[in-house]
Amino acid sequence: MLFVKQLAGIIIVLVLTQGCVVSRGTIGEPIQEDALSRIKKGTTTMAEVVSAIGAPDRIVRGNDREIFHYYYYDAKSPALLLLLLNFIRMDIKSDNLYVFFNKNGIVEEVVYGKRTGHTQFRLWPFGD
Amino acid sequence: MVTNVAARFSSISLVVVTLCILLFCAGCSVRRVVFNDVVTLEQVNFIRVGQTTMLELADHIGAPDEVTESEFGVVALYNWSDTKSAALDFGAVARPFLPYAPTMTLNKTGITPEQFQVVFDPQWTVRAYGFSRRTTDEPVIWFWPF
Repeated sequence: MLFVKQLAGIIIVLVLTQGCVVSRGTIGEPIQEDALSRIKKGTTTMAEVVSAIGAPDRIVRGNDREIFHYYYYDAKSPALLLLLLNFIRMDIKSDNLYVFFNKNGIVEEVVYGKRTGHTQFRLWPFGD
Repeated sequence: MVTNVAARFSSISLVVVTLCILLFCAGCSVRRVVFNDVVTLEQVNFIRVGQTTMLELADHIGAPDEVTESEFGVVALYNWSDTKSAALDFGAVARPFLPYAPTMTLNKTGITPEQFQVVFDPQWTVRAYGFSRRTTDEPVIWFWPF
C-alpha cells in the first residue's frame, strides 16, 4: 500500500511539473565587490587594477583617457511547454564596472552599477 | 427525472466550455524577453546640463551599459528592451487526434531596443542627454502578422 502511495505521489509530481523548463545563462564572471574596495582613487595603478580584478572585457578611450570596462550578464528563463499552450519568459540584466585612468595610468574614477541582483525567474509573460 | 436531465445538461455544458477554452488556447505560444530596467523621464529629471557628473548619474540610475567616444565627447549609453512574441498554431488542435503534427502558424515578434544617451564634456559633466526613441506599448499577445 505504501509503495502504491509513493508511486502515486511520484506520478502526481511528474504530471504537475511536466513541460516545465528552467534555464539560466551568464556572460562573463561576476564582478567581485570586495576587490573593488582595494581600488583607491589617486593611488591605484593600472597594473594593480588588473591584478585585483583581472583584465578588462573592453578598453575604451575617452577624453584622452583609458577606461577599463568590466561586464557581467545574467539571464533567467522559466518556461511552461504544454501540449496546447506555451509560456516562455526571459529576464536579462547586466552589471557594469568602469575604471577611469588619468594620463599617468592612475585610477581617477570608479563607476559601478549592479543590476543582476534583481534578475528573477518570472514565468508569467504579461504585465510589467 | 427532471433533476437527472438538469445534471446531465450541466455536465455537457462543462465539457463544451472546457473544449472551447482548449480550442481557444490551442497552439498558443507567448514569449517575452526583458533586458534591463526601463529608464524613465522621471528618473533623469535631476540631470542638469553643465553640472551633473558621471558619478552622480551612476548614483541615480546605475552604471551605463556602454561608454564610447564620439566627436562631441564621451557618450554613456543605457540600453534596455522588451521583446514580445506570440504565435498561434492552428495545427495544434489536430495533434491529439492525428498521427502526424500539422502546422499552420501565425507569429509576430516585436523587438523594441531603447536607449538613453548622455554626452559628457572633457570635465565629465553632462553636455547633453536624450532618449533615442520612445515606442508605444505593444500588447503581449499580438500574433496577427499582416
